Amino acid sequence: MASTTKVFVLKYAVPCLAVIVIAIQVFFMNTRNLSKWKGGGYGMYTELHYASNQIYIPGLSVDSLLKNNREMKDVLGYLILMPNRHNLNKAGALILKTTHKDSLHIQVWKPSINSRNRLYTRVLIDEIHLKKTDF
Amino acid sequence: MRLKDPLLLGGQLLILISAAYIFIMAEQNRRWKVPILFIILISWFLFRNRRNQPVIWIGLTVFLLVDLYLDYFWLANHHFMLLFMVLSVLIYSYHKRDAILLKNVQMLLVIVVMTSVIQKVVSRQFMSGDFYYYMLNRGAVFKHFISFFPESVALAKSNSERIFELHATDPNNAKRIELNNIFPNLGQFSLIFAYVSVVIEFVVAIAILVKPRGFWTHLFLLVMILGILCTRFETGFMALLAICGVFLSNNIYLRLLYVLIFMGCLVLVITKLGFH
Repeated sequence: MASTTKVFVLKYAVPCLAVIVIAIQVFFMNTRNLSKWKGGGYGMYTELHYASNQIYIPGLSVDSLLKNNREMKDVLGYLILMPNRHNLNKAGALILKTTHKDSLHIQVWKPSINSRNRLYTRVLIDEIHLKKTDF
Repeated sequence: MRLKDPLLLGGQLLILISAAYIFIMAEQNRRWKVPILFIILISWFLFRNRRNQPVIWIGLTVFLLVDLYLDYFWLANHHFMLLFMVLSVLIYSYHKRDAILLKNVQMLLVIVVMTSVIQKVVSRQFMSGDFYYYMLNRGAVFKHFISFFPESVALAKSNSERIFELHATDPNNAKRIELNNIFPNLGQFSLIFAYVSVVIEFVVAIAILVKPRGFWTHLFLLVMILGILCTRFETGFMALLAICGVFLSNNIYLRLLYVLIFMGCLVLVITKLGFH
C-alpha cells in the first residue's frame, strides 16, 4: 500500500467504523423502532428512556410472567427496547406457549409529555391479537 | 512529569477507566471473559516496564468485542466510544505516529459530539423542551442542586409517585395526570435549556474539527463536560471525553484540569455514585 494511502487509512479507519455503527443504529431506529438510547448512535437524553415503555396484556400480569423466566425477560426486554411487529409476535408466541392460553392481546405503550399543558399520558405504539392456531 | 507527555498520560488514563469498566461489566458473559482477563493480566505482568503493550490493548479490544457481539443493543453508547479509543491506541502501537493517533481521537470526538447534536435536533421531544421538562419534574436531572430546595424535592417525589400509580392502571382508560412544576416557568426553562445544550455541543464539535488544539476549544469542551456532569453524573462517558481532552490539549494547565475531572469521574464510577 502506498505510504499516503496507508496514512489516510490509519487516520480515518477508526472514525469510519464509528460512522458505520451510527448508520446501523439509525437504520434500526427507523426500521425496527430501536430506542435512541442504545445501539451506539449517541442519542441518549434525546427522548424519554425506553424503560418507561409499558407492555400491557389484558387479564395477565407482566410481572408474574417475568418471574423466574430468563427467556421471557429477554424477549419482553427486546420488545420494550425495540417495540416492533416482529418482537410483538415473538413475545406473543412465547406467552401463549408459557401460559397455555388459546388467544392473547398484547399492547405496547409509550409515555407522552407536553410541557405546554403539563400533561403526562400514554400513547399506544402497537398491538396484536394472537391465537394459538396462528403458530 | 507525565503531564508533559499527553500520549503516555492519555494511554494510562484509558487503561484505568477500562479497568474500572471491565470490573463492572465482568459479571456479564463471564465464560468468555475469564480467559481474556487472564491473558491481559499475564501480559501486564510480563511487559509492565515497556511503554508499548499491544497485548493489553488487544485483550481490551477482545473483551469489549465479546460484549458487543453478545449484547449489541443493550450496551451503553460509551462502550462503543471506549472500544474506538482502545482500537486507536492499539493501532498506534503498530504505526507509532503521534499525529495519526491524535487525528483518530480528534475525528472520533467530532463524530460523537456532532451525532449527539443531530440526534437532539431531529428529536421533537427534545427540541420542544418536553424531555427536560419531564426529567426536571421527576428530579432526574440537576438532582444535587434540587436537593437544596425541599419543596421542589417533595414535588418531584409526588410527580414520580403519581406516574408510578398511573402505570399501574389500564392504559386503555386514557387516564392522564397533570404534573406539578417543581420550579416556576419550568416549561420555558426546559425549552431554553434544550437549545443551549444543542448550541454548546455544536460549538464544541466545530471547534474540535477546526482547531483541535486551541485554548478556547478546550475551554468549551471543559465547560460542556462540567455542564453535563452538573446535569447528571454521566461519569463513564465524561471520563472518556476528558481523556480525549488530555490527548488533544496543548496547554499543561488545561490538561491538569482534564486529569482532575477524569479522577473525579473515576472515583464516582468505582463507588457507583456515577454511571459507568
